[in-house]
Amino acid sequence: MIYGGDIITPILMGIMLGGLYALIALGLSLVFGVMRLINLAHGDFVVMGSYIGYALMRNFGIDPILGLIISIPVMFVLGFFIQKYLMGRAFAIASEIPLIIAFGISLIIQNAHQIIWTPLSRALNTPYSHMSFHIGERQFPVSYLLDFVAGILIMLFLRWFLKRTYLGMAITAASQDKRVAQLMGINTGRVYGYAFAIAMVSAAIAGVFLGMTFPFTPTSGISFLTIAFGTVVIGGLGSMLGTFIGGIILGVVQTIGGYLFGPASQMLLVYIIVLVILAIRPQGLFGK
Amino acid sequence: MHKIDNEVMLKIEHIDVFHGTFQALWDVSIEVRKGEMLALIGANTSGKTTLLDTISGLLHPARGRIEFQGVDISRMDPYEIVSLGITQVPEGRCIFPEMTVIDNLVIGSYCGAARKRKDENLKKVFEHFPKLKERQKQVAKTLSGGEQQMLAIGRGLMSDPKLMLIDEMSLGLAPIVIDEIFKALKSIKEKGITILFVEQNVKRTLQEAERAYILENGRVALSGTTEELREEDKVKKAYFGVEVCET
Amino acid sequence: MVIALCVTVALAIMPLVGVPKSWILYIFLFFIYLAMANMWNLLAGYSGLVSLCQPAFLGLAGYAMTIGTWLDIPWWAGMIGGSLIAGLFALLISSAVFRLSGVYFAIGTLVVPEALRMIFFLWRPVGGAMHGAGAGYMIKGIGDLSPHVVYWLSIFVGVGSLFLVKGILRSKLGLGLSAIRDNERAASSSGIDVFRLKLYVFIISAIITGFAGTIYYLYQGYIEPTATFNVRWTMTLLLATVIGGIRTVEGPVVGTVVVVFLYFLLARYAGYSLLIQGIILVGIMLISPQGIVGILRRSKFYDSIVKRMK
Repeated sequence: MIYGGDIITPILMGIMLGGLYALIALGLSLVFGVMRLINLAHGDFVVMGSYIGYALMRNFGIDPILGLIISIPVMFVLGFFIQKYLMGRAFAIASEIPLIIAFGISLIIQNAHQIIWTPLSRALNTPYSHMSFHIGERQFPVSYLLDFVAGILIMLFLRWFLKRTYLGMAITAASQDKRVAQLMGINTGRVYGYAFAIAMVSAAIAGVFLGMTFPFTPTSGISFLTIAFGTVVIGGLGSMLGTFIGGIILGVVQTIGGYLFGPASQMLLVYIIVLVILAIRPQGLFGK
Repeated sequence: MHKIDNEVMLKIEHIDVFHGTFQALWDVSIEVRKGEMLALIGANTSGKTTLLDTISGLLHPARGRIEFQGVDISRMDPYEIVSLGITQVPEGRCIFPEMTVIDNLVIGSYCGAARKRKDENLKKVFEHFPKLKERQKQVAKTLSGGEQQMLAIGRGLMSDPKLMLIDEMSLGLAPIVIDEIFKALKSIKEKGITILFVEQNVKRTLQEAERAYILENGRVALSGTTEELREEDKVKKAYFGVEVCET
Repeated sequence: MVIALCVTVALAIMPLVGVPKSWILYIFLFFIYLAMANMWNLLAGYSGLVSLCQPAFLGLAGYAMTIGTWLDIPWWAGMIGGSLIAGLFALLISSAVFRLSGVYFAIGTLVVPEALRMIFFLWRPVGGAMHGAGAGYMIKGIGDLSPHVVYWLSIFVGVGSLFLVKGILRSKLGLGLSAIRDNERAASSSGIDVFRLKLYVFIISAIITGFAGTIYYLYQGYIEPTATFNVRWTMTLLLATVIGGIRTVEGPVVGTVVVVFLYFLLARYAGYSLLIQGIILVGIMLISPQGIVGILRRSKFYDSIVKRMK
């Protein structure tokens, strides 16, 4: 990482990194908002997105961002069926079962990755992701800029989608009051499926940008889940804009932590802030 | 006997409905005739809301059947029932609080053919409830209680219903507001929509509706035209005697 | 009861009669996991506290004991002290995490071991910085400690935790817990101090988990932050409890047998073992939310065995 002498550089990097964190957290936030489920497998879905990008790049030479054309439909369909055949049925049994199922899925994905890809750390290296650009005299990696742009675009798209399309409004309605949504003729089972599928798509996109920014391993999912959760704690669940702001705050906290205490401890500050916020305003930061 | 034609629109035959192991409805039979304004009267735990939820498909009867325009709907899911033309306006302020007024109305047209008639229906809703037009950009939770109730009814109208089920609309509202809502319901009925509404306010209900069913402990205790019911001794004693507490 | 006692005694004399060392290792792991799974069952199953910070307890206790041996505190005193420190830590974090309920509690506790890992990665309380960040500690002064003793300690904590769970469930505390589980609001309005009961369970589980942790590290001989404050522990406990049957006394026993047996069977393919456990977990949840015990309870043969065991 390129840390300049002053604190402005880490702040700018943190803001850009925050775009990536928001991208990772959007899907978690969406699924929680709609189904009240903390999807413990979300981090692994993100890593899955990274590995799909990696596979396409290594085997067919497809640029990872271009590869999204293939991975997005795959993740969408997968998400829909996971919701329909696993989560949907689990919700009918008892409220804690979906959490455990999500945990099981996380375990399955992690170890499948381990078997297919070995525990070695991988990265999505493209010609442009290692280039750098300048703001004034400061130099930043292009991948960070891409993270930020992608974060904003996906956040704006999801906001538009949830407010302006019938399906998006149905998802919003189902998250606010399931019973009444059903009375409006909304097939909540199917809407949940689409919501989960969209969360998976956002994970696929996040995975690609993540892979261009940081190396990843089969067990990276847990750290990304923690980051996503921290983002959502800070920003408030369900709100796409809030999640984005939460991501930026978290990114800045992390890079300032790294600047002040060295790179090894940068996440410590994040964890402590998450715990403190949870202790001070647990419900408040979750929206209602 | 009555001026409207007697075509039965919704026919509920001998249904038993359970909440888990608790039986909420016992052998209930009800007929709703096309074009009428029918009331369902009863105390809090009498099973009125359960009955509406069963018609809407949120609950399914353990025994008996429900037929809507000749189709058995007793096993259907809520979204299928809405697209057949039955809409429920749920009790209280069950609007989507964080959405705007206009979004609440638009979501009402989610099902089936109603989407194509969205603009047309929106115009109708604003005719019935001009206040909603003024406030369409407002977030729904900022509306007054009466306005929220109007929004809920308007949202129901957006699904282009043939039959509207309205649950406890007057709960907690000022008499003036209730007047306004009943006036709107009358004009909705005039447009050919059948209305089945649930009320605790017995006196008022017997003025507004044409026929009524009285539910007690999950069973139909009495039914008939409202003129007949007003003369019924039992009704007088049970409801008008304690009317002060009821409202 | 008699059968259970015979099985325990038989397992206890195994290392003396020349049973292969690898078997002993798996039995040792079984009892360690069993103790921790029992505590997790007490939390998640009986008290509604889906705690994901168990690695914090076992790690803190382990670290306390290890660092103690560097300061010439004997290992056995370190075990007790470490367990108590784990209990104290539970008390300390309870003021933050107990404000959270349900899923929030789960995620709030998930962050705790992550933070501790960072701390122990950077902080070297004794021995200087000669090994650099993230290095572990050897446990000192256990050179003449017989491995048999460590093995017996594991049996002690495993079997003891079973009795503890049974005892707690029969006690006033257990009655209060079941009242809370049925209806938290009703229990609290009828004078049960919900917060205090849950806190007791949290602290007890921290102490016992910590104690089992110290035994594990006695066996291992060293401790380091990455594997200690690791979500793998949580996974193992959750798998053992849930596959066996959460909210049943015998569930963790059955589940731990399955988990350890899978480790044994697939020792050379670590990834496959966890993959299979994940599939079993998802499958069992959909078939029977009460795990294998839930399935077994449908058969009469099982009933008769359980009755005899009691």
